[in-house]
Amino acid sequence: MEYLFLILKVIIFIGLAPLLSGIITRIKNNLRFRKGPGIWQPYFNLFKLFRKDEVVSEQASWIFRSAPYIVFAATLTALMLVPALTAWPLPIFTGDFLTIIFLLSLGRFFLALAGLDPAATFGGMGSSREMFIASFVEPVVILAIFAVSLTAETTNLAIIAAFKAMHPATVLAAGALLLVTLAETSRIPIDNQETHLELTMIHEALILEYSGRSLGLLELAAYMKQILFFSLISLIVFPGWNDLASFLLKWLALGVIVAVVEISLAKMRLFRAVDWLSFAGILAIMAIMTLILGV
Amino acid sequence: MELFIILGLLATAFALVFAKRLSALVGSFSLQSFFLVLLSLREAVRGAHLDLYIIAGLVLALKVLIIPRILLNMIKEIKANENLGFFINPQLSLLVALGLIYLSWAFSSLVFAHQETLVKVYGAVSFTIISLGLFIMVFRIKALAQIVGLLAMENGIFLLASAVSGGMPFLVEMAIFFDVFVGVIILGVFVYRINKLFVGIDIDKLNRLRG
Repeated sequence: MEYLFLILKVIIFIGLAPLLSGIITRIKNNLRFRKGPGIWQPYFNLFKLFRKDEVVSEQASWIFRSAPYIVFAATLTALMLVPALTAWPLPIFTGDFLTIIFLLSLGRFFLALAGLDPAATFGGMGSSREMFIASFVEPVVILAIFAVSLTAETTNLAIIAAFKAMHPATVLAAGALLLVTLAETSRIPIDNQETHLELTMIHEALILEYSGRSLGLLELAAYMKQILFFSLISLIVFPGWNDLASFLLKWLALGVIVAVVEISLAKMRLFRAVDWLSFAGILAIMAIMTLILGV
Repeated sequence: MELFIILGLLATAFALVFAKRLSALVGSFSLQSFFLVLLSLREAVRGAHLDLYIIAGLVLALKVLIIPRILLNMIKEIKANENLGFFINPQLSLLVALGLIYLSWAFSSLVFAHQETLVKVYGAVSFTIISLGLFIMVFRIKALAQIVGLLAMENGIFLLASAVSGGMPFLVEMAIFFDVFVGVIILGVFVYRINKLFVGIDIDKLNRLRG
């Protein structure tokens, strides 16, 4: 019964992930006085993609074909490890946050290989950019969650989430995670989801060669990654409120913040992204320092 | 409140190291001084001394408003390029700053070993600001950064005096303010002269004697 509930939780997460993206797009369009697509558009896109045939380059190897499944599986496993909605993650025996970060970087690694595999110019460019950004993102995520795990004195996310102690450090860490989330979900200061402009795209360049079901899987994995990061932030800032209603509220609040940030900033050029992520790093380091100084 | 001031001081210290433009450098110095104003106001409210209110007001007038204005005017007038030259780039500077913070913390724990934690923390923050000021003076190319670095060091000393030992005597404080003000003006004139003689204020051009 317990397991059934945990599996149900993961299904809810996957089901809501595209909706969250649709709502953020909707908020953005409303703030800009535009009439954009409806909030269900991501689902229509996914259904369309899953019904279509694939086109795979003759030069592509097995890596290209298997990468979407690996990315999807890694993101799904990472999502299972987040103790949202239930007190414990799905594999009850394990799952601290380092596992989540490892799984996400496993997916990223295969995606980068798949970008290089068909030897298309844009894919290679996308891979190099993605890894460049990732090399700044990962240390910041780890630092930020270390700050939180210092307050709870464990790296187990379930215990951290149940710890229920707001500390100034956790707020700083959540700020750092929010900045990183914008980079990880390829949103505006770092990347832009809305365009396929050759010179600026990062995530879109990586998956440019994909079509049909593989593309659908990769997009769904991206939505899941977004909801995973949102849940991590909400677990850190507002621990305790763990039922579905308050989670919907927290996701919505974070979505509004992300949408406002996205419409009020311009996209940075690639080497300015380092500044953005260094700022996130400073926030995370200050979170740790407030704990170490013990004020 | 304590945490807010400490975090603000640390954040502005990071901002000084991470700034890429001259106006950003001056702006973060001004913000840092503002946190010093908050600190001395808190001391004043706690101690209920008129002297401390006057000192807070002087810091506000001099370091938050007048000196940054003088520096910004100077930047505008000599048409200096906004780019701060770097001997060490901002990201690497940040790592060095982290190392310096750790050293300051270790040093502060040694010096104030038998004091309460808050004193240790303030000691660490002020040693950090002093060493980062020195760092900026050494590793930035534009001469204006040297002035800001010196002022940041002075901020660190002020912080050390007021947070750890409850402030210097009023007369000494006044004398220091006067010194800083005159120092900035003299250094400003000096920068004007450098700009005229060497066409630009890059200090790495100052290695040859010019008449």
